[in-house]
Amino acid sequence: MENLSDLAQGLALLGKYLGAGLCMGIGAIGPGIGEGNIGAHAMDAIARQPEMVGTITTRMLLADAIAETTGIYSLLISFMILLVV
Amino acid sequence: MKVRFTKKEKIFLAILLVACTVSAFLNIRELKKTPREEVFGNLGKRWVVEIGGFRLNPMTIFVGVGIVALLVFVAYKFRRFELIPSRGQAFLESILETFYEIVDDAIPDKRFVKPTFVIATTLFLFIAVSNIVGGVVPGINVLTDENGAIRKVQLFSNLWPAPTADWNTNLTYALFVLIVSHVFAIKSKGFKEWLKGWFQPSPIMLPLNVIGELAKPISHSLRLFGNIAGGAILVYILTYMTGYFFAPLIFWGFFGIFVGLIQAFVFSILAVAYISSQLS
Repeated sequence: MENLSDLAQGLALLGKYLGAGLCMGIGAIGPGIGEGNIGAHAMDAIARQPEMVGTITTRMLLADAIAETTGIYSLLISFMILLVV
Repeated sequence: MKVRFTKKEKIFLAILLVACTVSAFLNIRELKKTPREEVFGNLGKRWVVEIGGFRLNPMTIFVGVGIVALLVFVAYKFRRFELIPSRGQAFLESILETFYEIVDDAIPDKRFVKPTFVIATTLFLFIAVSNIVGGVVPGINVLTDENGAIRKVQLFSNLWPAPTADWNTNLTYALFVLIVSHVFAIKSKGFKEWLKGWFQPSPIMLPLNVIGELAKPISHSLRLFGNIAGGAILVYILTYMTGYFFAPLIFWGFFGIFVGLIQAFVFSILAVAYISSQLS
């Protein structure tokens, strides 16, 4: 990036910051919806069978950890855009 | 459920808490002294040593060997199981029993229950200890330049030296699980049946099946890597921003112990699921 003119450097920085912000923001939509679904259904199940709280909570945390994977990917990619490139 | 501690365990926990608090304090002091460019410019770089064409990551190797030594020591200590279990033995037994039940339910071919159980528990123990080491023991930070050579060694920095925060470790385990699942499938069903599995619904689906198999280790390893490495960078940035005394303790507890244990469990459960999906 050293050989570019001032305007080109500014545009490159603009693209970097915009890209990182958009990556994290859009990437967080899917995991949010997914984890909300998981939580809602876990609440339903607990309301129906209150004695199963322990099992349902551990399974819910497991499913949450899998559902948030794409969010973690976008977090990593935005870190890479900001810090590595 | 009520947990009771003996006096020895209470003393151990108190010492651990005091050590974490002191190291958090030292962390903040160290972080305040370093200039801003050095703090954020160093995040994406690693200490790399080149030996005969191989690029090695020494921190990963040192900490990994240390964790293996710790696990071997624990295994040696509990090598003989007593009829009336002590507390440590009961704890280990409860972990192993949970895993055995899960594996026994998931694997359809009973000959492969024990190997799968061994693989899953070994992966779980290594990854869990590695994540907790990353979270509880604050790192030795090795500042490097662009080519990966050492510039400065910094004690009490917030970057984590956990082996699972390095993608090489995770990809090795994921590829190992993939290869083991196919070897088990060939042994269980025979070579012809295994080959037929690639053309399952119709021969047109072959490329999709191949891509699906190749995508497994990548998503499997990147999930763990992203959680641990992303958590480490997030804790670093948050600690720098707040600069508050107790903040690093809470962040380590959440990102290291809670997320680390859940991700270790998810990794080994997914290994069992991949192996069982190849066997059925």
